[in-house]
Amino acid sequence: MADLAKHGARGPRRALAHQGPVREFLVLRVGPEDYGVELTSIREILSPPPVTFVPRAPPAVLGVCSVRGLLVTVVELRRRLGLGPAPASRRARLLLTTGTSGEVFGVQVDEVKQVVRLSDGELELANTVFGGDVADHVLGIGRPKPGDGVIVLLDLVRLVDHLPETV
Amino acid sequence: MVDPGERAREEFFTEAQEIVETFSRNLLSLDATLKVGGDDPALVNEAFRAVHTLKGLAGLFGAVQLGLVSHRLEDLLDALRLGRMPLSSAVLDILFGSVDVCAQILEADRGASEPPAAAIEALCLRLDALGGGHAQQQSPVVEYELDPGMLAVLTEYEEHRLRTNIDNGRALYRLRVQFDLSTIDRALEEIKDRAKRHGEIITYLPTGESASPDTIELDLLMASRDDLATLIGTLGADNMVIEEVPRRRRPSLAAGTVPPPDLAGTLLSLAPPDARLEPSTRDDIAAVEPARSLKSVTQTVRVDIKKLDHLMNIIGELGIVRGVLSRLSERARSDGQRQLATEILRLHRSFDRRLGDLRDAVLEVRMVPLGQVFDRLARVVRQISREVDKDIRLVITGAETEIDKLIVEELSDPLMHMIRNAIDHGIETAADREKSGKPAAGTIALNAYQKGNHVMIEIEDDGAGIDEGALLDKAITLGRISRSDAGDLARHDLLGLIFMPGISTRDVAGDLSGRGVGMDVVKTNLAKIGGVIDVHSESGIGTKMTITLPITLAIVNALLVRAAGQVFALAVSHVSEAIVFDRRALRRVEGREVVSLRGQTLPVCRLAEHLGLPEPAEAAPRRFVVVMSLGARRLGLVVDAVLGQEDIVIKPLGPSISSVRGLTGATELGDQRVALVLDATSLVDDVLSSTDLASPEVAPRG
Repeated sequence: MADLAKHGARGPRRALAHQGPVREFLVLRVGPEDYGVELTSIREILSPPPVTFVPRAPPAVLGVCSVRGLLVTVVELRRRLGLGPAPASRRARLLLTTGTSGEVFGVQVDEVKQVVRLSDGELELANTVFGGDVADHVLGIGRPKPGDGVIVLLDLVRLVDHLPETV
Repeated sequence: MVDPGERAREEFFTEAQEIVETFSRNLLSLDATLKVGGDDPALVNEAFRAVHTLKGLAGLFGAVQLGLVSHRLEDLLDALRLGRMPLSSAVLDILFGSVDVCAQILEADRGASEPPAAAIEALCLRLDALGGGHAQQQSPVVEYELDPGMLAVLTEYEEHRLRTNIDNGRALYRLRVQFDLSTIDRALEEIKDRAKRHGEIITYLPTGESASPDTIELDLLMASRDDLATLIGTLGADNMVIEEVPRRRRPSLAAGTVPPPDLAGTLLSLAPPDARLEPSTRDDIAAVEPARSLKSVTQTVRVDIKKLDHLMNIIGELGIVRGVLSRLSERARSDGQRQLATEILRLHRSFDRRLGDLRDAVLEVRMVPLGQVFDRLARVVRQISREVDKDIRLVITGAETEIDKLIVEELSDPLMHMIRNAIDHGIETAADREKSGKPAAGTIALNAYQKGNHVMIEIEDDGAGIDEGALLDKAITLGRISRSDAGDLARHDLLGLIFMPGISTRDVAGDLSGRGVGMDVVKTNLAKIGGVIDVHSESGIGTKMTITLPITLAIVNALLVRAAGQVFALAVSHVSEAIVFDRRALRRVEGREVVSLRGQTLPVCRLAEHLGLPEPAEAAPRRFVVVMSLGARRLGLVVDAVLGQEDIVIKPLGPSISSVRGLTGATELGDQRVALVLDATSLVDDVLSSTDLASPEVAPRG
């Protein structure tokens, strides 16, 4: 994670040219789409350890695993977002985050790409873009580079705080 | 990390709680002595010291309410110990009440909620009511030819003891003893000890004369029933002169003309010679000196149980490291590095041994004697028996049996409910008891003992027993059981009905005092700490409840099994045996799969199916039935493999999945994998719930 952050800080672009405070987002891939989650909400990024399936758990929950003795609830982001199950991939990563209740979650994503720095001008909050009618785990839209498309910014903590009983 | 103020506050609560408990224990002992018509000044003193310390503590931490109450209690106890007020059952009632009030205040302070003003007010009123009408006793002390210098420095307490002894017709003696300065502490204690058999040393004072600079001469004032010759014969020594203190008759000093307060010189402005004495030998100075009594004399450290849990977790992690070492050694061996393998193996063994020691040591620290909770129960027994006007004898054995602190905390409520039920509904009224030829006083026996890795607690009363007929009627009325099933019920299962929601022992004991606590709640609460309860009852003879508890919750010996390709752990304490699953022996009874086990019918449940896990494509050639026993209920769990036993540390599942039924947590196995820990109680409940009563013996054979 430290490496990633450093890499991101250098950045492939000159985002600093823009005005206003800058927020750092980790760009990750789930299915065909790229998403961004704020770096401050991630405790750690690791290769997924063996996960033990927990029967009767909410569908987005893959199971539990142990990270250095800490019991972690593993949530698969694909299922949490209502996408189909992922084929096993060597690029899959687990993002550790802490829910509001203090429970430690590992959010499994298909791939971790890079860190982008978004200034106010490159970031549109959900309520202004979608007019309020949007899932509360969507933070907004980011435009890392003109002409480079947009990424949906997710609120990781909100994603794990409310795990639906059905997908 | 912890705010020091917060920690000090926490310590205040713990300490105050302990003092209140000690105080309560003293009261119970006092109650016991009072019942046989005795009096024990040492006990009153101890109780006094307890509230005195409590007052000091409350003052230090600005606990106003507690300070107020303990101050009032101190006054009362002081009056008791100085004999200004006789100890009676009524006084003890108030004191017992005060214990509860103190507990309430502490709870309120801790939770920063409103203090129980009404309770405090009520207690103060009762204390006020006691206060009046106790005239000071006349002192007969003046009849004796005592050294006025000695009388002047008597503490109020000593004066009280002096008076009491004279009232009891004991003669007074003066022992003039030469002590070696270097050994005076021990020698003095020795004399006191020997004197105990003949009477009581009331006070002692240096005479100011001594034969040499290395010695000191003390006058000991002693009261005794024995005559001078006996005392000289038994106590006498070379360095001692014993004389009887003669009585005198002087009209001008007739009783009443010298008020007692004159005698009660203030000890604290004492003559200097006394300062040379070791204060601790004069226990009642210690009692009135706050600085001393607040100082902890024991070599103990208070530790938050969470810290011990943390330690236990680390030990669990080390267990994993141990497993890795073992595998490393095997790998080295298979790679042909024989010497390295041996060295690692040696390291592994030594590590294993030390880790075992460490684990035992930490477990031992967590252990507390059950006496802690039994003391509280004794108070409850006294209180309830007075409320319902039944004479109850509580017999406790095995109070020294040790169990995990966390379990003790969760144990007091269920036990209290059970005791209350026993007194309220189990024990008959004195009249009824005499009719059936029993002693008027009912007996409740509270027994605890260790049995393997379990602690057994039995609550036994010699009351009327459970009325099975009434119990059955009630169960049928509530629709818990059909009338046709009722006939098939074995006796044991019939008694098991009392654990059903909605049924209380009140309904079956025919008593209407309305305090029956649902035994289902008791059972559920005990299950939370891994406890199992069984009931036996004989009509007219009594009821016996047996609770089986694990010694500790921190480390659980677990059986590892595999189902649907996944490893599960199950506490060994709930497993009675594992047998090979014989498909041909499987029968279907009322939609439920059962097998016969030694002539008894055992309901079985396929674990994978029950948890909704897909069965592996290839069925295991041989499967197993793990027989779980929860009290009288049994269930066979069909699994693919039994992998062995292991000591595990159970970690709770996160809140998002903790509500999953059938699981109680997870544990890490050696290979970084996590195994889910099955919850035997909810598994058995879920599987057997559809026909709750279909326990093995009941289901029709087929």
